[in-house]
Amino acid sequence: MAFSGALTLTDLNDFITPAQACIKPVEQTNKPEPGAAATEIRIDSGGSYYEVSKESSTPSTQKLQAAEISLNDCLACSGCITSAESVLITLQSHAEVLSVLSSNPPSSSPSYRVPVLSISPQSLASLSASLPTPTPLQTVLDRVAAFAASLGFVHVFDTTFARELALREHVAEFSERKARGGDGDLPMLASACPGWVCYAEKTHGEMLPFIARTKSPQQIMGTLVKEWLGEKWGKRPDQIYHVTVMPCYDKKLEASRSDFYNEQYSTRDVDCVITTGELDLLMREKGFDLCLPVATSSPSSPLPYLLTHSGSSSGSYLSTILTHISETSSVPLTLTSHAPRADLEELTLSTPDGAPIFRGARCYGFRNLQNVVRRVGRSAGVQVGRGAAGRLVPRKREGKGERYDYVEVMACPGGCVNGGGQLKPPRDAEGLTRDWAADGVRTDKAWTREVEKAYWDTHGIPTPPASPKLGTSLDEVAVRVLGELCKPRAEAVRWDERMDDEAEERRRRFFRTQYRVVESEVVGLGVKW
Amino acid sequence: MGVDLPYKLSAIAELTGHEDRAWNVAWNPVKPLLATCSADKTVRLYGYSGIPTPTFSFHTSISTDHGKTVRSIAWSPSGETLATASFDSTIGIWQQKGAQDEDEEVTAGEWQCASLLEGHETECKSVAWSASGTLLASCSRDKTVWVWEVQPDCDFECLGVLMEHTQDVKSVAWHPSEEILASASYDDTIKLYLDDPSDDWFCFETLKGHTSTVWSLAWAPGGRYLASASDDCTVRIWKRVAEHQWECVCVLEGHERTIYSVSWGMTTTKRVSEEGGEPLGWLASAGGDGRINIWQLEEAPNSTVNSPPKYELISCIENGHGDSDINSIVWCPRAGYQDLLATVGDDGMAKVWKIEVA
Repeated sequence: MAFSGALTLTDLNDFITPAQACIKPVEQTNKPEPGAAATEIRIDSGGSYYEVSKESSTPSTQKLQAAEISLNDCLACSGCITSAESVLITLQSHAEVLSVLSSNPPSSSPSYRVPVLSISPQSLASLSASLPTPTPLQTVLDRVAAFAASLGFVHVFDTTFARELALREHVAEFSERKARGGDGDLPMLASACPGWVCYAEKTHGEMLPFIARTKSPQQIMGTLVKEWLGEKWGKRPDQIYHVTVMPCYDKKLEASRSDFYNEQYSTRDVDCVITTGELDLLMREKGFDLCLPVATSSPSSPLPYLLTHSGSSSGSYLSTILTHISETSSVPLTLTSHAPRADLEELTLSTPDGAPIFRGARCYGFRNLQNVVRRVGRSAGVQVGRGAAGRLVPRKREGKGERYDYVEVMACPGGCVNGGGQLKPPRDAEGLTRDWAADGVRTDKAWTREVEKAYWDTHGIPTPPASPKLGTSLDEVAVRVLGELCKPRAEAVRWDERMDDEAEERRRRFFRTQYRVVESEVVGLGVKW
Repeated sequence: MGVDLPYKLSAIAELTGHEDRAWNVAWNPVKPLLATCSADKTVRLYGYSGIPTPTFSFHTSISTDHGKTVRSIAWSPSGETLATASFDSTIGIWQQKGAQDEDEEVTAGEWQCASLLEGHETECKSVAWSASGTLLASCSRDKTVWVWEVQPDCDFECLGVLMEHTQDVKSVAWHPSEEILASASYDDTIKLYLDDPSDDWFCFETLKGHTSTVWSLAWAPGGRYLASASDDCTVRIWKRVAEHQWECVCVLEGHERTIYSVSWGMTTTKRVSEEGGEPLGWLASAGGDGRINIWQLEEAPNSTVNSPPKYELISCIENGHGDSDINSIVWCPRAGYQDLLATVGDDGMAKVWKIEVA
């Protein structure tokens, strides 16, 4: 199968598959030489291709250009659903990180770029679970920071504060949509999963209006580092080299989107994304042992760190909205939960007389994603999908009570802790058995549970802790970031308050994004076997 | 060749009308209706009446509006709903307008698309309803097999996307009584799937043995055997040797080209063999050589758990559709008509055959 090793991390068998082949036509750039007829192609030990002319008395060898497919080609093409790892590996790889760091001039030079590393909490959890003894995420973060410093990184952050801002903006956007209540406003669908966004853009354009415009934590981290912190450090965006560590290969695609490219400074909010697995590889290549303690001399971080957002290990988007609705409700609300299948949980908030006022769902994996698309399309009365359905009987809309208000959609089964870029489960010498009756299939799920436990820092405690109230100081930092980035005329007091138009314009630029339908240029292969 | 065989096949109907090759044929399990589908994107329905030799008449044509070839069709066990699998990568679900009345008479209501199942990335190759009619399976050149649950109001929910095959999946078939799904592929294997009640659908068995593409599957009516037809010109019979284990117990040879279709029917006109083993029904196979073979199978006397069934070629006819490939062959499942076979071919024609003692 066309899966890369990393993508087949588990036997859950519910990942989005890459298409059979990249259909991007390769442009022929080799000029034909008149008269040169009989040639052969030779490949040297370094993998370069040479065209060797045999006819002339002096055999000439000409190096051939390698065809390159850029990330932008992938993003613009609807040939595959997600692109293959091999395409991403050159531009966004740990080798690229090392190469940039080694060619970085001394900090006194004007072309010096400040290397910054931001790591996701799911990546920290994956690293923690891979260690022989339970290790708190803080300890893992300290060790990663020590390793990163040895490579030349000046700042190391985790992305939970960026997620905090993403969640605040997410709630604000949900409130806006609910107030508008027009077609395409509700249900709101989570926007943090690039696999889902990419899939929707390529195959389900009718879903795009429903996907939240709020940037993902990775991209808000990009804004924080390049805009907010950059300004504090006196650095332009292009004077910072920002690397993120993510549980997911598709985050590489997300970082490469044109929406996150700064035209003015020709730089991206996130310059390079590496997966947890690639960070692990990098540490092993450099002989760094994550098991060993490091001297923790981490200077006080300018950002709040390792914040816990209770609810789900995929960002707690639904829980945050549930909490917001409960807290702003004039009557006490009851929460009921229904989990009909693995990776699907429906949560409903009801008034004391039993009337549901909010229906949300957590929905992970490709299969459940299909059902979300069908259900949303149905309840919103939009025509789902491609292809002619001319004779399809028009269906009446379902009652309002039936439809979701919000869905936390993630493309990976098990959510982000089980992302395709996470570490593989440690295997014994014989490897895993695949006998369904034995616990072979379950072994990888057991591993995902270990990562989940590490994520919540609760080895031994099975369930995530109850929702903590956000501290006031956190509130203050968040609103200060908003104020300093959006520069409202009147000082911002709350995250979700409406500022003046120019400040709101800046809010959209810094905290929101957009999506576009990618039209297929290829109408199948017409294969009829 | 067929002269010495104990049974003969005679064509009792030749149904024309498709403007391109006909891919698949399906008998309605309840009503006197035969459906065919074609590269011309239409489904044609034929009615029939008369015992013992019915006459067939054109009933209606559904211009499906599928963007490409309709590759496969399947009736739900209730006979009320028709599913179409198309090369346009969708599955259509068709019901007749105002067809709620109980009587078996075919009402003249128009067939309309009640639901369209999307999700496959490329050409859908086959579609099948489970015995209870609550589950639908589809497969595609995108190498996946999907399991859908039928919900009220003709809605469908995806229960599983099975990415087990390494190549194009040609066919899906449900066990006749249990919720076990089988799929056949260009990767030469057959996969069997089950639902884990606490979890997802998963593949519990891979049947290897064919040396080329497996095109078609047919469960024995009792569910203890599975037949598979292949490009290697053989039909293999797989026997259930343990609850979740199947083994190849025999290989039937008798075709010179790819076997595209196999069907396992119950028959009331059983030929009694000397040993008198338990009858397993009749197996029909057809394919690229235009030949139709009918095999009688029976449990061998004193059979053990993995002993092969006894089999005997009881009828054979050459050039069933002239020079054309035969794409599909299916026994009629309805009582009183179980000696009828329908075939469709590259000539765009559907034929109905009756098997009789020679």
